Amino acid sequence: MYSNYVKLALRNMGKNRLYAFINITGLAIGLAVFLFGSILAGYERDHDSMFSQRDRIFTAGSVFAPDADIGVLETDSIYTAMAPLLRNESSDIEAIARTVTREFLISVGDNNDSYYQTVSFADPELTQIFDFKYLYGDASAIDSPNGIILSESIAQKFFGRSDVVGEVLTLDHEHDLRVTAVIENIPEDSHFNSSIIQDRGDRIFAPLVRLGPMQGDFKFDEDWGNLSMGDMTYMLLPADKDQQWLSDEVNAVFQRHAPEGQQDFIPSLRVRPLVEANTMIWDAMGVPAIDTIRLLGLLVLIIACVNYTNLATAQSLGRAREVGLRKTFGAGQRQLLVQFLVESLTTAVIAMLLAVACMELLIPAFNQWAGKLVSLDYLAIAPFLIVTTCAVGVLAGAYPAYLITRSSPIDSLKNTMLKGNRGNLFRSVMIGTQFAISIFMLASVLVMYYQNQEVEKSSNIFPKSNIVILERVQVDEIAQRHETLRQQLMAIPGVENASYSSQVPFQQSNSSSTVTRDKGDDSAVVTLNNVAIDEGFLETYDIPLLGGRTLSRDIANDINSEEAEQVNVLINQLGVESLGFESGQAALGQSFFSQRDEESEDPIKQYTIVGLVPDQNFLGLHNKIKPMTFILSPDWLRVASVRVEGTNLSQTLQDIERVWKEVNPDYPIQQRFLDDVFADIYTIFQTMNKVLAGFAMVALSLALIGLFGLAAFMAERRTREIGIRKVLGARVDQIVRLLVWQFSIPVLWSLLVAMPAAYAASGMYLNFFSERIMMLPLIIALASVMGLVTAWLIVAGHAVKIATASPIQSLRYE
Amino acid sequence: MLNLNNLSKVYRTDEVETVALNTVNIGIEQGEFVAIMGPSGCGKSTLLNVIGMLDRPSEGEYLFMGEDVAGYGESRLSEIRKQNIGFIFQNFNLIDELSVRENIELALLYHDINARERKRRIEQVMDKVGIAHRAKHRPSQLSGGQQQRVAVARAVVGDQSLILADEPTGNLDSVHGQEVMEMLQSLNDEGTTIAMVTHSSAHADYARRTINLFDGHVVTQSLRAA
Repeated sequence: MYSNYVKLALRNMGKNRLYAFINITGLAIGLAVFLFGSILAGYERDHDSMFSQRDRIFTAGSVFAPDADIGVLETDSIYTAMAPLLRNESSDIEAIARTVTREFLISVGDNNDSYYQTVSFADPELTQIFDFKYLYGDASAIDSPNGIILSESIAQKFFGRSDVVGEVLTLDHEHDLRVTAVIENIPEDSHFNSSIIQDRGDRIFAPLVRLGPMQGDFKFDEDWGNLSMGDMTYMLLPADKDQQWLSDEVNAVFQRHAPEGQQDFIPSLRVRPLVEANTMIWDAMGVPAIDTIRLLGLLVLIIACVNYTNLATAQSLGRAREVGLRKTFGAGQRQLLVQFLVESLTTAVIAMLLAVACMELLIPAFNQWAGKLVSLDYLAIAPFLIVTTCAVGVLAGAYPAYLITRSSPIDSLKNTMLKGNRGNLFRSVMIGTQFAISIFMLASVLVMYYQNQEVEKSSNIFPKSNIVILERVQVDEIAQRHETLRQQLMAIPGVENASYSSQVPFQQSNSSSTVTRDKGDDSAVVTLNNVAIDEGFLETYDIPLLGGRTLSRDIANDINSEEAEQVNVLINQLGVESLGFESGQAALGQSFFSQRDEESEDPIKQYTIVGLVPDQNFLGLHNKIKPMTFILSPDWLRVASVRVEGTNLSQTLQDIERVWKEVNPDYPIQQRFLDDVFADIYTIFQTMNKVLAGFAMVALSLALIGLFGLAAFMAERRTREIGIRKVLGARVDQIVRLLVWQFSIPVLWSLLVAMPAAYAASGMYLNFFSERIMMLPLIIALASVMGLVTAWLIVAGHAVKIATASPIQSLRYE
Repeated sequence: MLNLNNLSKVYRTDEVETVALNTVNIGIEQGEFVAIMGPSGCGKSTLLNVIGMLDRPSEGEYLFMGEDVAGYGESRLSEIRKQNIGFIFQNFNLIDELSVRENIELALLYHDINARERKRRIEQVMDKVGIAHRAKHRPSQLSGGQQQRVAVARAVVGDQSLILADEPTGNLDSVHGQEVMEMLQSLNDEGTTIAMVTHSSAHADYARRTINLFDGHVVTQSLRAA
């Protein structure tokens, strides 16, 4: 009996090929998008399963105060001073290991091949926490301060082979480390290789104890000042302890030891299981990207289901006679329901097979493009596929099945249903739903697009296409030659200016210090971002001086150093306000002081304001404008900025490279445009926009395909009426308007839902930025018009064809 | 009023070519009442459709009020049709979703007539065909005779000078058929030109002239003795 139903369903599809095609492709596309979204979300949420102790490994991150305004809500790192304290005070934690990642120039012997490579400096317990697959050596590899662990790909890169235990790598031509182990490359689906990390797959682990001495005797065990995204603290718990316990422990230690100011800045630490490490970046940014992808997939699937329901409802009316006959011969309503549900299930199964076939093609391509390891594990997802297929089949088919089977046999036979308006309201609601979803998505895409444009536009306060950044100039050997390099760069024709600074615009680095207006007054502490610059910085970046003077190397107090007790600074307008000066002019010549640090013996430093600069969004992108100071600090300079003319750029770039090689023969140049620094983060916004645009396109296309099918069907049903109207003298445009209007009403209604929803959702995205686009309602209206017009065009295209046909053809249809 | 000169209509499908009208020559004068008769499939309805500009001839000349409309496109034909021609069908062709009044109004909607004038005309024509008491009913709630009266009302409400009726009594019993014929007779008396396809020779007797068709040819034309 069921096979009979399936056969019947297939025959019906053969008879109505256009509708069957629309139904199946629509559902297949909807299912494919939904599946892909779900599989991808599942993949991102199930990383690090290669580590056998995964479920007992936890990480700790810092949650920033709501008013911290540093562009993220939290970070995945905690101060490196925390780990030794935890080790001492919470002995139940089985193992604790920090990683601190730094970039080094790495070379082998006198071999000239050297590469910049990130090195993760870790506590030895790291190898206890993560069971890496050792090709050579073992877990004791970084117990000694000279050991180093390489991933296989790194070993191949430097030595051309894997068996390299005992070989020596040199960091920055200075620090020798001996390879003690080679591990298999960590698979892509580990947080070690999450999407934001560069050099994926390549890993070098070195002992953390080595890093401090390399960096001016930096004491990581006492550092309460630096947090870098990606510098983790891992903890291995015994089986009987859970996340909550660890969270309490970690926070208690933090409360006991963290300096006072830091607790205002970071009210609490957050412990997460390792499995969340891969996706926490999105939580940190406050963008629920993974859930959004899943939700968008579901919305697209809903649109596809609605297409099916709508067309099936419309079509089923044409089958009333068949149902009447079946009823007359004794079929009960239940049997008929089953028959129609089998039909929709058949469609759903065919669509699902197509969708899975799509996945087979799509996923390898996606993996290649995105460098991921998403896989179709049929055994694992079979229950999900089956449940989805059944849900889609039943949900999409339930209403049409119910509608067609509830009428009395004689009505069915007489086909009176054809004449009624049954299902019209339902169909209208469904069309409204589809367009509400599509227009909502479209509006969100447009808002994101225009906001991104705004971000791009506002970034142009700095000449970002004309500035070449040279990185890592803080390395001692290079730092000694700063002046030589600068002079030689300036001598290049096409170079307008060259300058050093601690950071450049758009680098997401918040270097700040806490200061007070009155010396030693701890009651009014102000946080100021500070950027170390040299004399030429303002000119290089076109930063105007609003009052006072610029800083000069020739004035002793203008130059900052560790020991200096008094130093002159430039400050922006916001800085002036946050310190409580009445105006910029009033602030000139005034001083403020570094906050007293009870634990350190450093004297309080006095800062005197000598110049005013405008409020500019130095960090750009999603950050708010901050109170800022610029200080001449020769010791803190990390980046060189070379301002170039637009003309003959390639020659200028070659010259820059040549000059660099002459001055710093031992260190390869690392140069890129300021544009690229900007793009580091901007690409994330752009990608989000593109992904959402993709979903919106699919959603709108599906809605339009559905509308087309329905319009075609309704026009067919109204053929006779159209014929009569034409016989009575209706013009083509009048008929077209009649048909178009029928579908405009639900689309118009959908705007009532879509527009406020888009407004709310866009608000969430816009909140992320300090400089927001103003014409939000206009953009949403634009999206609505786009949705409405495409709907009109789709319906009108078909309506025109019908309306221009000779009227006798319409009438002969009977 | 209209002249068909050497007019042919051929239907082509992939395999077959059917000649529905074969070099037909007919003229209809202003104020005439013409019946078109002949066996099934002889081309009666095709002839009526061509005259009503619902269908275009394959060959020949069609002069309507002195204008050759044979080559006109749909939109110009629609314009001429709506000004001059009213239709009555065997199966009434009323729209089920609309009430009697709205069905009649349909014929005026596409003219440039304001709502008050439309209302006046509809009242008038409903009185004339005796359907005023059913104005708010749906077609499916009326008997066949009543439905055809609505159709007649719709055909004449726009002051059309030519009524084309395709077996207007075909679906009616003799009493109702008689009624409809008398209505057409009185319209003709008032000056409306009528061309009617019918199977019934009794009803054909209402006409002043009968055209007999056979296999697409005009076989005979006979005038009724006055």
